[in-house]
Order: sequence, then structure tokens, then C-alpha cells
Amino acid sequence: MTDWMMAIAILLPVVSGILILVVRNYFARGVIVVLTAIALIANSLLFAAKGPLTYTPPPGFDWATLIAVLDYAILITYLIIGFKYRNWLVVIFSATQFLPLLYFEFVMKAHAHPEPAFFVDHLAIVMTLIISIIGSLICIYAIRYMRDHEEHLHLTKSRQSRFLFWLVIFLGAMNALIFSNNLYWMYFFWEVTTLCCFMLISHDKTKIAIENAARALWMNATGGTAFILAIIYLYSTQGGSAGLSIQNILSGHVHGAAMLLPVALLCYTGCTKAAQMPFQSWLLGAMVAPTPVSALLHSSTMVKAGVYMVLRFAPAYAGTYLSSAIAIVGAFTFFGASALAISQTTGKRVLAYSTIANLGLIIACAGINTPLSIAAAILLIIFHAISKGLLFMCAGAIEHQIWSREIEDMEGLAAKAPLITLITAVGMLSMFMPPFGMLLGKWVALEAAYKVPLAAIFFVLASTLTIVFWTKWLGRLLEVVPKLGWPLEKLSPSYSVPLWTMFIAVFVVGFGIGPIYHSFISSATGNVISGVNAIVASNWSDIVLASTGLKGGATVLGSFPVWTLYIILGIALLLPMLFFGLRPTQLRQVYLCGEQSGGVDTDEWLAEADVKTRFILGGYYFQGTVGEKAMNPWVNTVAILLLAVMIGCGVIIR
Amino acid sequence: MNEFILVIATIVLAPIVGGLLFGIDRRITARLQGRFGPPILQPFYDVLKLWGKETIAVSKMQFVWIYCYMILMIASLLCLVLQADALVLVFLLGFAGVSLVLGGFSTKSPYSHFGANRELLQILAYEPVLLLLAIGLYAKNGTFMISAIISREEPMLFSLWPLFIALLYVLTIKMRKSPFDISTSHHAHQEIVKGITTEFSGPFLAIYEVAEWYEIVLVLGIIALFWANPLWVGLLIAFGAFLLELVIDNIAARMTAGWMVRLSWSVGLILGIANIVYLYIRRG
Repeated sequence: MTDWMMAIAILLPVVSGILILVVRNYFARGVIVVLTAIALIANSLLFAAKGPLTYTPPPGFDWATLIAVLDYAILITYLIIGFKYRNWLVVIFSATQFLPLLYFEFVMKAHAHPEPAFFVDHLAIVMTLIISIIGSLICIYAIRYMRDHEEHLHLTKSRQSRFLFWLVIFLGAMNALIFSNNLYWMYFFWEVTTLCCFMLISHDKTKIAIENAARALWMNATGGTAFILAIIYLYSTQGGSAGLSIQNILSGHVHGAAMLLPVALLCYTGCTKAAQMPFQSWLLGAMVAPTPVSALLHSSTMVKAGVYMVLRFAPAYAGTYLSSAIAIVGAFTFFGASALAISQTTGKRVLAYSTIANLGLIIACAGINTPLSIAAAILLIIFHAISKGLLFMCAGAIEHQIWSREIEDMEGLAAKAPLITLITAVGMLSMFMPPFGMLLGKWVALEAAYKVPLAAIFFVLASTLTIVFWTKWLGRLLEVVPKLGWPLEKLSPSYSVPLWTMFIAVFVVGFGIGPIYHSFISSATGNVISGVNAIVASNWSDIVLASTGLKGGATVLGSFPVWTLYIILGIALLLPMLFFGLRPTQLRQVYLCGEQSGGVDTDEWLAEADVKTRFILGGYYFQGTVGEKAMNPWVNTVAILLLAVMIGCGVIIR
Repeated sequence: MNEFILVIATIVLAPIVGGLLFGIDRRITARLQGRFGPPILQPFYDVLKLWGKETIAVSKMQFVWIYCYMILMIASLLCLVLQADALVLVFLLGFAGVSLVLGGFSTKSPYSHFGANRELLQILAYEPVLLLLAIGLYAKNGTFMISAIISREEPMLFSLWPLFIALLYVLTIKMRKSPFDISTSHHAHQEIVKGITTEFSGPFLAIYEVAEWYEIVLVLGIIALFWANPLWVGLLIAFGAFLLELVIDNIAARMTAGWMVRLSWSVGLILGIANIVYLYIRRG
């Protein structure tokens, strides 16, 4: 049973990927993707039902050698990419991984096989649910999206198979990454995701796509370098193979004065992958890729691997300066990215900055390192995956309606595409409005934040900025002329199924937070904090609750009084009812000082010499204050300093 | 059951108090300007008249947002009355503001958009101060629950006075008084007409007015928290703050939105942050 579950989670995507690559028919390919998606979703639910487990592949096949060989294959691919596109940064940072790896294998003659190879605790289960369900839905969405995409580009030779191949493999690699207990294997899967990411970003093969993909590659390769250095360090100081078992690291079996440096390096690795400042440019560059890539990178894969890493090692740095440093690094990114998001004129870049900001928040929560903040981090991972996956799919669908990504071009979308606007609006509101989940996560985060006051202050500023950029964008969508009757647009099932599923999920998960908390998040929090073998920690929810000093009658999430939630729930239930209340009976023109030129369905006015002129409204972007040109130099400088302090804290032992 | 009565009482009484305050405001302002002024009950007459009008709108979405504005405002006030989590209160108040902004945005109208953009900047100006206030409460009491403030013997004003000063200009912004009557104004200003409320009419404008009544009660209530024991001192302070705003309104000129944000993000945040850092260090 376990054999099969692990095989489906990790190997099935690979097999399906190869099938997709071979099959050249649009429908057959679609069927394979859909079947894989169903299998992955069912399998992840099975994991959830079965609970924590550990797993080592049965002897008989030499997986270790295969992984070692593939490791070299990936790094050689990096080198080839670097030389082919003459990107020396890629070459340098592949070499800095390649040489230590050779040293590790051949000079140290390392034999890195701690047992068990995989361990699936509650946190990993939460992650696999996100990866398998949301990731699979995005793959389904990509079937149709890529066809439209290629039609728009007028390609003669279809490259959809290649695209779907990397997309599906990505899911397998992510599953393996979060299940790994063997740090050395985790490193391999880490590199697979980096490679998938490069291939997907560079998919369109335009100059800018390749440039940006290469940037993603070298930035993540610096993380990979830190990863392999941490492995070598752990292996040589912590008793060989046993030192590479994540369980051992977390449970303190190999804890010692020298432990903090490799953990700091691993957190740095996590920060590169989670696109924390100053590495935000790779995730922004990734926006040139077709939208399913962005959806996948932002919601369920890649960046979530980064935050997973930082969160996973939370007990290893609990109570140290490193922990506070991580909190401040994340909180600063939350603040900086939220401010930068205000200045963005492109929808997808706003989404990207918002992702970077929220990842910062999650990392900050890991750094604050109390039961409540860890619970907040897990909540945020879940809600962010749903909302952001939905929003990117919306962005793609909007792009295929109006063939633009600019916010100004989305003006009045509510009249042109009411359905997508509705879904997008709910997606946006779910990022920051009650009673949706993200707000809940931010709330818990703020409740926990006082332990690191500087982080708390950044949280305050950033969450205000968050309100501004979402409202601003949503306002552009809603701006319509008072015309009666909006025809609904038609959506292909490959769009509508994932979109509506996620739409419903936003509500279900938002309202069902109580049960979800009790069945997943409390035990996942327990797993993170205890860091011990997954199976032990099941009664942690009580400790989480007790430690936050709640009063009697409070049940959900520590200090949250139940009826506060009821108020919010009540609002949520009241709102739809209002639609049947006082509706406007007549529509009139807006006030234009009496200079209108016609009825309610026109936006023209009589300008000079009574010439009919269409009036134009624009959004505010404050480029001078929070634009990239104004902000980037100092934001990046501060971020680099903070990262240096963070790694420095790894050397200070407390 | 007690809480239920409290909820109903708040929903019914708060607008009456708020409306009276607005009536007093108009009367005092008129006297300050050498006019006689309307009767104290004038705000109620206005709203009743608006309520009886036809439901005419400029957009099909607009009315949803104005409802949201009022309901979130009430929810926020309930958080105060029921002594709930201060963070939730601030969040709800912020989202009430967002709803109003979206109401302003939901039609293609130049004046409405001016107002909506400026209202958004107002949120940018006051939201961090309110959130810092919540954190200040936590720093003082070790919890975000408002009930903890009520049960304290010593008034918060002594240790949180910098935040109190910051809160005073939040009150100015919230009351839409000079120098911060930026997104809309009690007087028609040429360049924005009526700003964000330009396109609201009839019952929808009435809802907006009622929401404003709830809002003034809420903000004054937050101010009263600074001297919660005995509460009547706090209420007197709040009423004093209200009168102070009227004086400021009549002696100050209207400023720009940029100036407001800069002021808030410099002076206001420095006051708030200094306050919190001081409390953090003192607690160790």
C-alpha cells in the first residue's frame, strides 16, 4: 500500500510526463493529464486519511546511485545552459555546486543513506494536498491555455507536449522534496524543481524568456550551493550519514554548537527559492512565461518549497538570534514587496509582488517561532496557495479575453467579462478581506508577532499597503458605464472547471477553517515544533491552545473568541441576502457638470466647441515614491545586509 | 442573552448618538462661523428625506458596496462593545473603508474616482496607526482583547499617550474634517464636487450617512478606552476630543492627500513605534 502511494506521488508524474511527451494528439494528451490529476488528487487524499508514515524504498533497486547520476546530469545541464547562452553567472554557480558535489562523493567518499529515506508527517501531508490538488488543477487548466497560447502566437510546430511534460514532472519532484528525510535526496529533488522552473520559464524561447529563466537559474543555484555546503558540513561534523537525516537534525540528536551554521545556510537556500529580497527579481522575471507556469510556481510548487524549508527547520533554530533574524528578513520582504506592488501597472507583476510579500510573511512567522506563529505560517501556506492559484488562472483567462496584462486595459472588465470579473474579485478579496482565510492568517501572525517587535511593525505597515494595491486594482475592474444588461462570456471547461473549483474552495476552506484547523493544522504545527518523529506528535493542538493563554469558550486557533468569528461569518451570510434588498430601480448618467453627450451607455462628454470626447480615467501608481527605480536600490541593500546578518547569526552561538 | 441585548442596543442606539453628535457639530460649527445653524435633529431629517427618495444609481454594483460599508462598520462597533479582539476591530474598520472605496470606484465617474483614490490614501494614513494602537494594547496588557483594557484599574492614557495623540488625527480623518476633508467634504468643494459620495443618491446616500454615524461613535469609543476606569472620564475625554476637532476644522485649511500620508507615516508612525518600543524595553 505505502509502496504504491509513494510511487503514485513521485513516479507517476514522471511516467505520465514521458507519455505526454510521446503522445502528440491534443485530446489524448488532455486525457492523460486529467487522469494523472485525478490519480494524484485521490492519492493525496489517501495520504491524508492514512496519516503520518515513514518509508524507505525496498532493496533490489539502487535508487541511491540513480539519484547520484541524475544529480550530475542536472548540474551538467546547467553548465551546458550557461555556456550555450553565454551566461557566466549560471556557469559560475553551477560550478560552485558541481565541485563540492564531486568533493563530497569522491574525496570524502560519502555514503549518505540515512534511514528512513522519506518521512511523511502532517506538515508534509498538508503540503502534498496543496501540491496534488491545486497543482493538478493548474495542469488541467494548462491543457486549453497552451492551445490558445500557441494559436495566438501562430506557431507552426506545437510545443505543448514539452510544456505539459515539465509541468507534470514538477509535481512529482515537489512531492518527493517534501517527503524526503534524507537531506542529500532532498537536494536532488530541489535541483529538479530548479531545472523544471528554468525549462518552463524559457518555454517561449524569446530572448527575454531565456534571460529571465537564466536569472532564475543562477539565483536558485546560489541557494543550491548553500545547500550542498550545508550537506558537506553536516556530514563531516555530525557523524556522517546520520547527520543528514532531517529527523535527527530536528529532534536534536545531532544538535551541537556547530549546528546553527548549516541551518542558516539551509534557510538562505529557502529564501532564494522563496524569492525573498534581494532575490525577488527571478520570480518577477518568471512572469514572461505562459500563465500556468506562474500559477504553478506561485501557488503550489517552487516558492512553497522555499518556505517549507525554512518552516521545516524551525525547531533547529528555535530560541536563537538566527530565529529573530529570519523573522526580520521575512518581515522586511513583506513590507518592501507590498510597497513595490503599489507601483506596478501590470497585473501579473502585482500578483508576483503579492506572492513575494506573503512568502515573506510566512518566513517571518517561521522565524517568530511560537506555536501560534507556526500555525499562522501553515494557514497562510494553504490559503495563499488557493487564492493565488485562482488569481493567476484568472489573470490568464483575462489575458485571453483582452490580450493584455496591463491593469489599465482591464478597466471596466466587469461589463466585458462578468464571470471572470466575479471570480477575480472574489480571489482578490480573499487575499485581504474578512471572512476569507488570508486575513485569518495575517491576524494570527500579528497576534504572534509581538515577540519580535520590529517584525510586528513591518507587518503593520505591509498589511496596510496590501489593502491599497488590491483595492486599487479591483477598482479598475469595476469601473463601468451605467449600462443595462451584461452578457455573460463563455468559458472552455478546461478553464471553468479549475476556476470554479478553486472559487468554491476559497469559500469552503475559508468557512471550514475550524474543522480544517483541528484535522490538519494543529497536528502539522505540532510536527513542526516538536520536530520529532511525526507519529509522536498528535496532542500538540492542546499545547498550542494552552500556550496562547486563551479563555474558556475559545476554541479555534488559540486566543480567538468564537463569537468574533460568528460576527464575521454573519457578515458573510448577510451580504448575499442584500442582493435581494434595495436594488437600484433606475440607472442614470454620472455627474459631468451637465456636459454629457448622451444616455447611460456612453462615456462621452461635450468638450471644447461641443466636440464629443470620450473621457478617460486612470489609476494611481505613485512611481516616484514606491516605483522600482525609487525603491529597489535601498530595498535591495537593506535586504542583502539582513541576509548577511542572518547567516552571521548562524555563526553566533547562543 | 445579555450580549444579545447589548448587540441590539448598540445597533439601535449608536446611530441616534452619532446623529446627535453630527447635529451638535453643525450647530457649533455654524456658531463659530457666525451663523445660526440648523436644529440639532437636522441630520435625522436629512436621512429620512433621503430614505424616501427613489432608488436611482449609476452602476449595478454600487449599492452592494455601500451596504458592505455599513455592515462592516456595525460589525466593527460590535467588536468594541462586546470587548472583542482589537485587531479584528481594526481589520473590520479597514475593510469598511475598502468597501466605500470600491463603491466609489464601481462607476465611471471622474469625481467619484477622485474621491475613491483619496479615500484609499486616507486608509493608508490611518490604518497603520490603528494597528499600532492594537499592538500597543498588546504591549500593555499581553492580549489583544479589549476586555482586558476595561478590567484595568490604571488608565491607558498614561503609558500610551503618544498613540493617543496619533489617534486624535485619525479622528480628524475619520470625521472628514479639515485639514483632512480630502476624499469628500461636508462642504462642496469645486474640484471634487462631493468626492467619493458624488454618485450616491437617495436611500444609498442615507445608508452612507448612517454608516458615518456608527463610525463617529466607534472612533470616539476607541478614544474613551484610554480612560476606561471609570468610563465616564473616558467618555468626557472623547467628547473633548470631538469638540477639539470642531475647533481644528474651523481654524485649519484643507490640505492635500500627499501631505496627509506623509504626516501620518512620519509623525504618526514615529509616535506609535516609539511608544511600542518603549513599552517593549520596559517589559524586558
